[in-house]
Parts: sequence; structure tokens; C-alpha cells
Amino acid sequence: MDAVTSVVALDAASATTREINQALRALPDGASVVITEPRGRHNLAVGLTNSISVTIDGNAGYYIGGLGDGPDITVNGFTGWGLGENLMSGTIRVRGSVSQSAAASAHGGLVIVAGDASLRAGISLKGGTLAIAGDAGNLTGFMAQAGTILIGGDAGEALGDSLYETTIYVAGRIAGLGADATISELTEDDVTEVKELCGKAGFDHIDPQNVTKVTSARELYHFTTHHASSY
Amino acid sequence: MCGIAGLTLLDSGLEPQLGALLAGMLVALGERGPDSAGVAIYHDDGQLDVTKDIGSPADVCDRFAIATAPGYQGVGHTRMATESAVTKAHCHPFTPAEGVCVVHNGSFSNHATVRRRLERDGIAFESDNDSEVAARYIAQRLAHGDDLKHALTAMAGVLDGFYTLLVTTPTEFAVHRDPIACKPAVIAQTDGYIAMASEYRALTGLPGIKDAKVFEPTGLHAWTR
Repeated sequence: MDAVTSVVALDAASATTREINQALRALPDGASVVITEPRGRHNLAVGLTNSISVTIDGNAGYYIGGLGDGPDITVNGFTGWGLGENLMSGTIRVRGSVSQSAAASAHGGLVIVAGDASLRAGISLKGGTLAIAGDAGNLTGFMAQAGTILIGGDAGEALGDSLYETTIYVAGRIAGLGADATISELTEDDVTEVKELCGKAGFDHIDPQNVTKVTSARELYHFTTHHASSY
Repeated sequence: MCGIAGLTLLDSGLEPQLGALLAGMLVALGERGPDSAGVAIYHDDGQLDVTKDIGSPADVCDRFAIATAPGYQGVGHTRMATESAVTKAHCHPFTPAEGVCVVHNGSFSNHATVRRRLERDGIAFESDNDSEVAARYIAQRLAHGDDLKHALTAMAGVLDGFYTLLVTTPTEFAVHRDPIACKPAVIAQTDGYIAMASEYRALTGLPGIKDAKVFEPTGLHAWTR
């Protein structure tokens, strides 16, 4: 089928966001498409449930690839807030840096950031995987519930604040841990997981044996009597 | 909301276009602040022109022919008022001292306390805008000999709230954000300029933007000419 191999080009300079997203939704599984001139447009390639390949050729705005269930999205540039928010499955790869709340609340799929991620990356992560080659801002992994975050550079303040069961691996320095986040022992299984994730993300600058593992201390899970006076 | 746009040129060949580039940036942020808008333009002869008025940024830029203004550095703000009235006096940029411009996206919770302290020091205000308090505080620190970086760091210790601030002097261009950073900011750097805006889409009309280094600044970033 032609659609499997042909590349469709959509120009954000001449089409509305809705026109672009409707055209993307109409493509059959296996199709490839390039969105040219994204010009910082918000909400591109959101809500896609088909297994298509989307290349956004330039810097894009907020919520790129959000709510996706299956697509493979590449952004040749920077993206704004909420990259891959609530992603269900599929892959999003950004070749630049990203703004706040990357992969927020993602249930599944893989979000890869070649540059740095700003604050609150992986906030409320629900099972997805977030791999950041560079640094991550303050409050990364805030209230993250399940899934994995890998930070190839340094992590900011309050890393993993109010963390549930997401595991965070940091290759660089940690400016500070958030409430109830703790450094845990790195197991062989962890090393294997980091190695495999680096392979998928194309990261070759991380030594899986030398990452810091951050998990929940689970002290906030239960009411304790010595907190009674706080209420 | 509110929208901020700032541009400091490193390539003097762009100076005739400064007003047009800055107006384009500000108009692109119109949805972030429809109440009123303001622009400050630094000229080579040392003059600083500040224009502000009620209306959308497109209207205000048209009314005052901002696109025709040359300069080496410019600051723009488009306002969605949350803390005080929509009047010309409440518009940004605030110019609390000669050559100093302050624009703000956010809100300060203890501005009344800091205002009273500044008034006791003999500092006069032109509006009850919370952003003006930050502007006057920064100016007071500069007057006491702080450089801009130290003044902004001191401000962060005194004023409590949410802020993305763009503060300029004839030789400096500084972006300062609180540690929670709810109010957005993007910076683009090329050999020709340093540009800052609330959203990237405001930067798409700048020359060479496709090859610019684009990132979200956190904390304090300052450049000196």
C-alpha cells in the first residue's frame, strides 16, 4: 500500500491545527508524515490512535503528541509545556530541549528528550517511561505513581517529591530530594533496565552501573499517630 | 496570564528592524493579555522611549507605529489584569529609574507590605500595581549600588509570589523566575540577538530562529552588552 511508504507533508503555516490533526487521524497504520513550519504551534499530533510516524520539522508548542496511543513522533527542535501529556503508548522523541511537565501523567509509551527538560518533568507519571539525555528541572517526578524516569544529566531541587512507585535514575548530580524521596540500592535488575532504556533512547553517555536510584520511602503512605498534632 | 517579549540585538545590522521584530513578538502574544500593552525601546543615542496604553497589543503597536522604531534593545508586555485596574498607569513596562525597565508576568502576595516599607524610605508610586512594587524595589537596590544580578537576587528574598520578570538597563538584559516557575519563559539565542518571550510562537518571526539555541530559562539569567 502506498501509504505505508509514502511521506505526506503538512504545512503548519497554511493549515490550522485542527486540519493537521484530522489529516493525521485519517492516515492508515504505517504511514509517515512530515509537518513542516510548525512555528511553535500548540497541540500538534494530539490524540492519535493510529500507528503512524510523524516528524515535526522544527520548534513546536504545548502538548505535542499528548493523549497518543500508538504513534511514533519525532520533533526536530524544541517543544513547550506538556510534551506527551497523558501518553498511552507509542514513542515521542525530541531532538532539542523541552519545557515544563514533559510526559505528565503518561500511562505508557516512551518519551525521549535529547536536550534538557525543564521543571516537573514526569509529574504524576502513571506507567510511562521518560528518558532525558540532559538535565531535569526542579520537582521532576513530582507525585509520580508508576513507570520510569531516566535523567542523563543533573536533577534539580525536590526530585521525586511525594513520589509513589515510579523509579528515577540519575546519572549526574541531584540538587535535592523532595519529601519522601530516598536513594535506594541499585540492583542488577536496575542496571539492566537502565542499559536497555539507554539502548532504546540512543543514549551512549550514561554508565548504567553508576546511576543513582531514587524511589519512595513510603513514609507518606500512611497516617501515623505522631502526625496527629498537625491536624 | 500576561505576555512578555524582549529582544536585545547583538548584530547592529538588525537595529532598523527592532520595532518591527518586537511588535511582531508582542502581537503574537495577544491572547495572553488583551487589556493593555506597553513597549520600551532603547536607542543608540541613549534615549529610552516607553509607550503604553489600554488596548490589545496589535492596537497599541499600530496606534504608536512601534514597527517603525529602530533601536538596539526592546521590551514589550501585554497585560491581563488580575491584581489592579486596567489603566495606562497600571501598564508595564515600569521604569522606576533612568534606563531601567521592568515587566512582570505573575503576582506578588506580600506587595502591600513591601510597598509600605519602600514608602517609608521615601519612594513614590504611580499605581497600586504589585509589579510596580518589584520595579521600585529593584530600583532601590540599584540605587544602593547593587548590580542587576544582586538586585534581582535580593528581590527574590523579599517579595513572595509568582514571577517571570524581564528587567533591562541600557547595558543589561535579565530574566528572573521564581523556583516554582509557573509563569512561562523561552529564550532563543543566535549570533544576532538574545530574545525572550512567554511562548515560543512569539519568536517564530525572528531572523534565523530555526537555527537558534532555544531553551526554557530557570532562576536568573543575565546578559551584559
